[in-house]
Amino acid sequence: MMTIRHLTKRYGDRTVVDDLTFTVRPGTVTGFLGPNGAGKSTTMRMILGLDAPTRGHATVGGRAYADHPAPLTEVGALLEARSVHPGRSAYDHLLALALTHGIPRGRVTHVLELTGLAEVAHRRVKGFSLGMGQRLGIAAALLGDPATVILDEPVNGLDPEGVLWVRTLLRSLAAEGRTVLVSSHLMSEMALTADHLVVIGRGRLLADTTVAAFVREAGAGSVRVVTPEAARLAALLAGPDTEVTPAGAERLDVRGTDARHIGRTAAAHGIPLFELTPQTASLEQAFMDLTRDSVEYSATLETTAVATTVEGARA
Amino acid sequence: MTTTATSPSTATPAYAVTPGRVLRSEWHKFWSLRSAWITLSASAAAMVGLGLIVAANYDTGGREHVDPVQLGLAGIQLAAITLPVLGVLVTAGEYTTGMIRSTLTAVPRRVPVLWAKAAVLTAAVFPLTLVTCLIVYPLTQILLSGTDQEAPLTDPDVLGAVAGTAAGVTALSVFALGLGALLRSVAGAIGAFVGGVMILPEVVSMIPLDAVDTAVEYFPAQAAGNVSALDAVPGFPSPAASLLALCLWAVGSVALAGVLLKRRDV
Repeated sequence: MMTIRHLTKRYGDRTVVDDLTFTVRPGTVTGFLGPNGAGKSTTMRMILGLDAPTRGHATVGGRAYADHPAPLTEVGALLEARSVHPGRSAYDHLLALALTHGIPRGRVTHVLELTGLAEVAHRRVKGFSLGMGQRLGIAAALLGDPATVILDEPVNGLDPEGVLWVRTLLRSLAAEGRTVLVSSHLMSEMALTADHLVVIGRGRLLADTTVAAFVREAGAGSVRVVTPEAARLAALLAGPDTEVTPAGAERLDVRGTDARHIGRTAAAHGIPLFELTPQTASLEQAFMDLTRDSVEYSATLETTAVATTVEGARA
Repeated sequence: MTTTATSPSTATPAYAVTPGRVLRSEWHKFWSLRSAWITLSASAAAMVGLGLIVAANYDTGGREHVDPVQLGLAGIQLAAITLPVLGVLVTAGEYTTGMIRSTLTAVPRRVPVLWAKAAVLTAAVFPLTLVTCLIVYPLTQILLSGTDQEAPLTDPDVLGAVAGTAAGVTALSVFALGLGALLRSVAGAIGAFVGGVMILPEVVSMIPLDAVDTAVEYFPAQAAGNVSALDAVPGFPSPAASLLALCLWAVGSVALAGVLLKRRDV
């Protein structure tokens, strides 16, 4: 259990984290989501006592992180990828951390095997790829067999196999009853991994909800239909609970009903369908809608300008 | 008054951060980097090499005041640069690489890390320089036999001056370790050491005031030079006073670094 109450961090007149309050519960994976510069890393650093909050506090297992006699057994954390001296081997790095707590060497070997680093354990970290560096960070996080795991962008730099491995790992950590907080700026990744979502933008809490509720509210479950008789199908589908939005000459976006019903309706009236696709990608769109006002460096203007140019070139 | 309630923590192993464990961790960190081995062996080599070259080329009556210990241990002048650089690497190196975040996550009380680092550096540098001095000095005495610089190591004053030299360069290294923790950048701390410790006193001593000249002799680099003197030179602080000054510099920089370590964000 992790409790964040009115957590605030100011640097001069810049407020990076603004009165953040939320709770992370054990047995679930909580996704900590926000655009770059939203304050995710700063929040995590304050939880770990690396940065002192301007106001408010964060507790893990009922105490401030620094007040635990064996903090690594309480919280395991992966911070920015390189929190390692590149001249030291992976084994020596982990052993140095283990020695501070009296954690035995066997545990160091175990986490190296668990993260697939056993073969490179005695090579210097200098030669590690970004993915290997992430694995070493995760190994360090698991070293103390902690009740709470905090991972900052763990899939950064991992290959597809590594991404899948992290997903499985997070799920199994939560299934063992641990508290898991994972930050990401990718909604799609979180939708696959997390049960609960905490969304922040410009340091402020934007949403604290379950993934299922977020998906429902985001209106994922709209269906894209491409048919030469768009207008006719739209008229047939329209109803009090069904919203049909034309998107181009042959395309419809249908909300409030499912692909099965649309397909049957079209077949019953002899309307040919070229495409019938349930939409899930709109989750990313919903996240962008939610955080639009708080994106640090907005590219909207430029994107629009480019789009106009392309349209103009086509015409 | 019954004590039948069992502690729930009996099942878990007694993992906890203790000062002794932090010391073991820092000891392991120190020796698991090549830079430590390279710097220490280079310093020892410089002390042996330079001492022998200087002693072999010595002619009686060449200069006004020469001290047999300062002559035989001439190489300490180089070690007084390389060993403080090692001190800077031990602390500032963690900030430059990002390792400090891992270190302070494992030891969130922070300050024990600094004491442990200072202790480990002392435990590495003092024995190494002392043993090297005890080997080099008798060798240079063989080369100096028959000159006016004969002073056997068995003479208690000589032994004291040799041990003081090793202690002085150790204190100078710990001072640099504190400087590294204060400035949190390898380049910055080495720059400050060279500029502030080696060049600044030379500039300041150009101010024609006796008080300034006296003060400058207690600056770290000057004090480290005075520690090796076999006999107190008139007008200069005694070796004992110089060593005391050096230790105060070292304790001061580490203590200040400790206060800031506790206060600053990482």
